[in-house]
Amino acid sequence: MSKTILIVDDSESIREIIKFTLEAEGYNVLVGVDGKDALKFLDGQTIDLIITDLHMPEMDGIEFIKNVRANGNYTRIPILFLTTESQVAKKMEAKEAGATGWIIKPFVPAKLIAAINKVIR
Amino acid sequence: MEPLTSNKSNSYLTFKLGEEQYAAHVDKVLNILEMSKLTHVPKAPEYMKGVMNLRGAVLPVIDARIKFGMEPTEYTSNTCIVVLDVDMDGDSVHVGAIVDSVQAVIEIKTEQILPLPTLGSRYKAEYIIGMAKLDERFIIILNMDAVFSADEITKLKIGADTTPIADELAAEETSAETATGEKTE
Amino acid sequence: MDDFRTKFIEEATELIEKMEDALLKLEQAPDDENLIQLVFRVMHTLKGNSSMFGFEQIEKFTHNLENIYDMVRNQQLELSEEIINTTLACVDHLKNMLDESNYEDSDFMTTHNGLMAKILYIANPDANSMSNAGSPQPDAAGQNPTSSDEQATFYILFDPNDSIFANGTNPLYLLDELAELGQIKAYAHFNRLPEFEAYNTDLCYTYWEIFLSTDKEIDEINEVFIFVESDCKLDIQKISDVNILHNSKFIEEIEHIISTKNDVGIANALQLASRSTSQVKHAKAEVVKKERINTRDKNASSIRVSSDKLDSLMNLVSELVITQARLSLFDSQHDIHGLTPIVESVQKLSRQLRDLAFGIVLIPIENLITRFQRLVRDLSMELHKDVEFIAEGTDTELDKTIIDNLADPLMHILRNSLDHGIEDTNQRIARGKPAKGTVKFKAYYSGASVIIQISDDGKGMDPDTIREKAIQKGIIAPERKLTKKEIFDLIFLPGFSTATKVTDISGRGVGMDVVRKKIANIQGEVDVDSELGKGTTISIKLPLTLSIIDGLLVNINKTSYVIPLAAIKKIYAIDKDLIYKSFNNLITLDGEQIPFFSLRKEFDLPPSEEQLEQIVMVNFEDNYVGLVVDYVEGEYQAVLKPLGRHYKNNDIFSGATILGNGTVALVMDTNKIIKMFAHINH
Repeated sequence: MSKTILIVDDSESIREIIKFTLEAEGYNVLVGVDGKDALKFLDGQTIDLIITDLHMPEMDGIEFIKNVRANGNYTRIPILFLTTESQVAKKMEAKEAGATGWIIKPFVPAKLIAAINKVIR
Repeated sequence: MEPLTSNKSNSYLTFKLGEEQYAAHVDKVLNILEMSKLTHVPKAPEYMKGVMNLRGAVLPVIDARIKFGMEPTEYTSNTCIVVLDVDMDGDSVHVGAIVDSVQAVIEIKTEQILPLPTLGSRYKAEYIIGMAKLDERFIIILNMDAVFSADEITKLKIGADTTPIADELAAEETSAETATGEKTE
Repeated sequence: MDDFRTKFIEEATELIEKMEDALLKLEQAPDDENLIQLVFRVMHTLKGNSSMFGFEQIEKFTHNLENIYDMVRNQQLELSEEIINTTLACVDHLKNMLDESNYEDSDFMTTHNGLMAKILYIANPDANSMSNAGSPQPDAAGQNPTSSDEQATFYILFDPNDSIFANGTNPLYLLDELAELGQIKAYAHFNRLPEFEAYNTDLCYTYWEIFLSTDKEIDEINEVFIFVESDCKLDIQKISDVNILHNSKFIEEIEHIISTKNDVGIANALQLASRSTSQVKHAKAEVVKKERINTRDKNASSIRVSSDKLDSLMNLVSELVITQARLSLFDSQHDIHGLTPIVESVQKLSRQLRDLAFGIVLIPIENLITRFQRLVRDLSMELHKDVEFIAEGTDTELDKTIIDNLADPLMHILRNSLDHGIEDTNQRIARGKPAKGTVKFKAYYSGASVIIQISDDGKGMDPDTIREKAIQKGIIAPERKLTKKEIFDLIFLPGFSTATKVTDISGRGVGMDVVRKKIANIQGEVDVDSELGKGTTISIKLPLTLSIIDGLLVNINKTSYVIPLAAIKKIYAIDKDLIYKSFNNLITLDGEQIPFFSLRKEFDLPPSEEQLEQIVMVNFEDNYVGLVVDYVEGEYQAVLKPLGRHYKNNDIFSGATILGNGTVALVMDTNKIIKMFAHINH
């Protein structure tokens, strides 16, 4: 059965290109428009990976990651976050919140897949 | 009831209002319904009796008696709603007409339709196509498009004259018997 | 990729509009941190996305702008009017930048360079960096050095912290990834595993020694561990310039050490490797390359659908809503075990489906507002008038095609209001008006229509002047008597516009015929009302193409009627004596005097036999008016059906709907009803 990836980003174009890339790779893709919206998917269903933006209205990425980790069903789920530049402080903050890794924008699809392959197989 | 579509071009549905018999070309008739509950529309003219649900669409229903300037009567089990497809400024519009009773579908050949006789000036010619005599009774053939798209009470006769048209026509006929007889043959 | 670029452009346009909107608000409240954050965030997103989709110029442009707002939000820079004005100019420029064909235009590039210089100056007023402003920098990112075909062998010690699982990392995947770089031998050490009782599944007790033969550089190996760098002990060293993993002797010796549950260690590895190197043949590992993803348009993010199909969709949804009402009625009349939950979920689904279908075809009028705000701002500056723009009811939704066609005429009306309606500040003060003029945009539902009003508190129009002009122009005969409304209507006539255009300031007639024509194209009607010295209001009435409304079902004389919920404020129960004994049609509710109409009376029906009736308070203009009904039945989703041409003179009902029991209920247009009865009663 194909793996399920949850994408959380307030930018539709980013969501779409990630979704497109991932679906072409055979993943199931769930899409949330911000942290708050994405929480609805955390209902116990199997999600294999979360990719989230950090800057979002409603609930930002850091807060969202904390929420995921606090949910007993997803303590070990890999979480990648999207970041525009390699801001060290932000990266550490996200990692402390429980993120597994990151993807630096801009990225080409291959880079996205490469990052994903680090955390799920 | 006979099928409405038998020989389309010459078929007419006849119905009664009071003592008068009228005919409408079956092309104009979509359906005949039993009288059913109407939703009254406040502030509308008296002849606009209300609206009803006709297969999901809202059908306006007109009381033909009031529309023709006759006295309204109680509805009976014979009262019917004739659903008409009338032409209003080039658009097809559906409207229901309440009539006292529906009679039959009959054939009236074009040559049987007579123009209104000499006293035609006393009738509103735009509402009446002509008349036909069948079984010794006069039937008035109505221009349904004109009658049911007009925004007013469409008295068929000018003035306050309420003599049934058929009686008048019958009287008229006696005087002109030979002439018309030859024409109809 | 083009599909994504199109999507990006759409989205960037929205972002830019959002930024514009925030900037305009920021201008009013320069200290609002949320707004500054919003501007920053939008720029940041725009920058990130533009680089993703290859709009390098936009990326660079926004990068510098973002810096400014980064400084502003960190209080290193004060948000001055100059900054806002420049940013707004940049916003306009950014819109043009989305069309790359503009880059060939020399005017465009002049603007571009000018703005770049200005931004750089604001961001860094001391530096003399203006010289290279705007000239696109060559890409700094170097090419990857050509990877060598030669395979080398690396020793890797990967010793994760025991808490590494908590971040969702699975170390085995990293080993898999290493395997993709070449050939590997990985040895796991379990010697830290505690006794079973002490074993904690949340902790990682394993570490690895790995031998990797690859043609990749050491950087690429490091890259594998990039996410866990801070969560593990990592040692990567080259132990041989060739692939020694084919050397069975080397492997044998390594495995011997492992079997003793000892670490190999870098020292041993290096020693064993150097011994074996001479014996190995060069070999190339097969590197599995993932195929590049090719862009198919299968998953395009938006599609075009013919409007016929949307119409059919809406019709089907209407039918569904009606059928669902029948089902609900059936359920309430029959006690069938287990039916109610099904009916409820059908109800929920049909409501969701309805909302979705509406969402496809309807968009809020808000989408236009930013443009209007901008117009008012720019124009008032240009005209040296102080004007406030107020928008109400911007969540009112209309068909997308209608919205698209509405922008131009509305802009035109606004321009007229500002240009010819609102007076100069001095004049206003002289006339005892507030110095600041107001232009108000208001949208609301009225029955099966949406009304849009643009009103100003300017000088208004003089019917006598208009009449004279019309006579001069030969539009009307001098002896013709016209009502005030008919006179105002003259401004929409084609001939009239040119009459006043000569002066361009004296009247309001510029191009109003075009406005009316454009509104008529979308089946709308436009009306004008004006009071000399007080102001002018232009009203546009547009049809609701899709007409399922949330309504309140009320009963009058055993007949059900629908009142649109949007119009309703409150419902009270009321003693009928209070109603029939009232002389002036006023009733006191919650301490306020409210005019009311008894619908039984106004509909020419006999008085109710019940002592208690209900009064539904509905919006009327800026007030509330009570409509007395027998009783309220409940909420109802009404699929609006036209009453037909035969009722065209009866506009107090915007249509009818079919109830669950198959009968027809009329849908009231409360505005029209109140207007009609108020008129009759006076």
